[in-house]
Amino acid sequence: MRVNIGAMKAIATVAASCPPLLARPLDAAEASQLAAALKVLAEPARLRLLGLIQAQPGNEACVCHLTDPLGLSQPTVSHHLKVLLEAGLVERDKRGSWAYYRVLPGPLAALREVPGGPDPAATRAA
Amino acid sequence: VTAPTATARRPVAPTASSTAPGARLQAVACCAPLGAPTLSDDEAVATAELFKALGDPARVRALNILSTTDAPVCICNLVEPLGLSQPTVSHHMKKLLDAGLVDREQRGKWAYFSLQRAAVEKLAAVADLKGDAR
Repeated sequence: MRVNIGAMKAIATVAASCPPLLARPLDAAEASQLAAALKVLAEPARLRLLGLIQAQPGNEACVCHLTDPLGLSQPTVSHHLKVLLEAGLVERDKRGSWAYYRVLPGPLAALREVPGGPDPAATRAA
Repeated sequence: VTAPTATARRPVAPTASSTAPGARLQAVACCAPLGAPTLSDDEAVATAELFKALGDPARVRALNILSTTDAPVCICNLVEPLGLSQPTVSHHMKKLLDAGLVDREQRGKWAYFSLQRAAVEKLAAVADLKGDAR
């Protein structure tokens, strides 16, 4: 299976520039872009996948590490990873016969940016 | 139907029909950081519900307008920027209300909405990729 690195990078770039949700006024196009990324996150299995990937050594994981903890089949896990990849929430690196996934901060960072700047104390206390 | 305009934002004393605060509740302690090593099934479901409420362009814009406006915003002033009918805007605002992302206050015939401050912290906490591994 060939991976189109160029397309992958393009997707990642779009996600990395996800506009902040709360920090400044958004236009309709920006709101649509952000809503699309958030919609992808509205699925418990995908949220657990992101958490699992992030918890692995080096903050990256191959599909082979992700099926057991979730109790899902490999095709199902691969499907969710593909959706996350297309939404720019993860990036993928093919090594030998396995693909390794890493969480991209873009759309998630868009949620953390708030009016008047971040409030780390409030975040930590939550 | 009277056309909702900015002039509708006249001072009117809040009526007894104002929404009781705390009527909505998050059943599960939503929103462990996504970067936490173990995101439980319940936490994942609760957090997914939060994102579901946000996974719509109109609701993203509505929340964004509330976030970037200092005072509570009359629903009549959301109709034009969102480019939707008032019933549709009401529907979207109810979703945000049920998700605990906004507060609602009834002033005369209009409902006024503001961003719930706890929601801001909740979103920031959820999007914390460092989690407990920090």
